[in-house]
Amino acid sequence: MSALRRLVLDLLKPNEVETVQFARRLADIEGVDGANVSLLESDKDVQNLKITIEGESIDDEAVATEVEALGGTIHSVDEVVCGDRLVEESPTHQD
Amino acid sequence: MTSRLAFLRELLRDEEVRSISRRYFISNGFDGTLTSIGIIVGSFLGGNQTGMEIIRVVAGGTVGLAASGVWSVWEIERAEKLAELQRVEDRLLIGLEGTELHERKSDARKVNAVMSGLGPTLGMLLPIVPYFFVGAVLSLLWATVLGVLIGVGLLFVFGAYMGNISDQNWVIAGLRTGLVGLVVGGINIVLPG
Repeated sequence: MSALRRLVLDLLKPNEVETVQFARRLADIEGVDGANVSLLESDKDVQNLKITIEGESIDDEAVATEVEALGGTIHSVDEVVCGDRLVEESPTHQD
Repeated sequence: MTSRLAFLRELLRDEEVRSISRRYFISNGFDGTLTSIGIIVGSFLGGNQTGMEIIRVVAGGTVGLAASGVWSVWEIERAEKLAELQRVEDRLLIGLEGTELHERKSDARKVNAVMSGLGPTLGMLLPIVPYFFVGAVLSLLWATVLGVLIGVGLLFVFGAYMGNISDQNWVIAGLRTGLVGLVVGGINIVLPG
């Protein structure tokens, strides 16, 4: 099975869980080389984040478990890149 | 165990946990100190009581106030924190039971409750320390005077600490709270009977 190399997630997390902690914990997962956490929206109780994770072999279940342990909930999986190299999204006429 | 201690350390760095604990500690510490001053002055003026009897009365009151401090905060914070979690759960559309946030709230409640009980315990017990020396080096009068002064000193420390964290003049803030101890002692003296 080909390795998962990039995962882009849209998720909600409680405000009380710090974004830095969220990023650190995701980056610490085995097989993950780095994580980028961007704030999309924030209100009184929760924050909407876009999370980009890259690595040699990302364990998507471990990522989902860590997100849940931190009190987050995944809205959607927005991008998945698998294989020996990172393939970027190709522009189409519709874009 | 090590990770538990690390978790507790992280919890104590949380300004919200510290702020709530501080309020309960000082508020209930204030209650305890003033109650203790009231009891020792009242007991001394009532006569007929030995140093050890005064200690027993205050110790009994300490148990009551400390239990009240721990129990009430345990229940208050339980309700408050569950309500906070419920609000977040409604937004996330998931239950947070078993998550680190839930565990963190639960541990924060324990810290709040312990500090709430510790405040009145110190406030009640410190002013009665001189009574342990009654008969040996102190008379009942001097034990009472020293007890009131210890209580006033403790109230001064509470006030000075609050003044310090809020960037006020800590001496003035301490004197303001310390004065209450003298007022309570004074009221006891002028009370009829």
